[in-house]
Amino acid sequence: MIRRLAHLWHHHRAATLAFGLIAALTLVLLIRAALFTLYWSDPAHRDPKLQGWMTPRYVAHAWQVPPEVVRAALGDAPLPGPRQSLDAIAQDRGVDPAALIAAIEASLDAHRAAGRSGP
Amino acid sequence: MTGTLADLVNQYGLSLILAATFLSCLAVPVPTSLIMISAGAFSAGDDLNLWACAAAALVGAVLGDQAGYALGRRFSGLLDRAGDRTARTIDRARAFTQRRGGPGVFLSRWLFSPLGPYVNYFAGGSGMAWAQFSVWSVLGEMVWVAVYVGAGYLFADQLEAVASILSNLSGAAVGLLLSAALGTWLWRHSARSN
Repeated sequence: MIRRLAHLWHHHRAATLAFGLIAALTLVLLIRAALFTLYWSDPAHRDPKLQGWMTPRYVAHAWQVPPEVVRAALGDAPLPGPRQSLDAIAQDRGVDPAALIAAIEASLDAHRAAGRSGP
Repeated sequence: MTGTLADLVNQYGLSLILAATFLSCLAVPVPTSLIMISAGAFSAGDDLNLWACAAAALVGAVLGDQAGYALGRRFSGLLDRAGDRTARTIDRARAFTQRRGGPGVFLSRWLFSPLGPYVNYFAGGSGMAWAQFSVWSVLGEMVWVAVYVGAGYLFADQLEAVASILSNLSGAAVGLLLSAALGTWLWRHSARSN
């Protein structure tokens, strides 16, 4: 084994180095994939955060709440069509996106609290 | 990054998905995996239609493969201009592609997807039969689209997690393939010396 390695080192140094480098990189990628899987399998790290690119429908799906909960937070204004992000809705209405997101967050929290105290 | 892309997918929908898969099959660096994952996620919330997204991704990918194959065929003369030693290697690779290239095309669509575009060019340039190439290309792209759009659909609330796990795994798959190929070559060369 050692003799083989020594032979390779003397005669095919570039290929041996390339092999070591690629193998090491592959190992790093595998470890990263495993660590990410571990990290995200912990429910504490899984709570998604509301962001401006999300749409009302996406929020309802991801937070597993009925669409009405998100709609209620958007107020009485005409319902946004599909594929309209929270940022776009805020812009249309001339309100601060952060305020809109805060309103939806409050609505989601209220729904959760009601769910917990319910039957 | 994820946010901006998701926003784009939402705005431009199917045409963006189709353009992305098409370009990535020609080795143009486009974040196609993330685009397909976002498309799946928005389908889960009914902003987009799952089957339409999958169809757009598949059509783009298959057209991209065909374009790569056609370009390879068009410029196949370039392969013949290679020097002696390279020419011998190319001849062997060409013979191998013509005999057993099908599964290679299939696996380079999804498992070793970063290699896909180069396989397209080489398949066209080395004269692999068009029908054989096309059948394996369509089958492979179906798996590719199903994996990424499907993952986005199933794990819609975990976009970033799915994207980073899949991108690391896909890099590792190519790394394993290259390590195995180079390792075998080195092992044979060291055995010959003993």
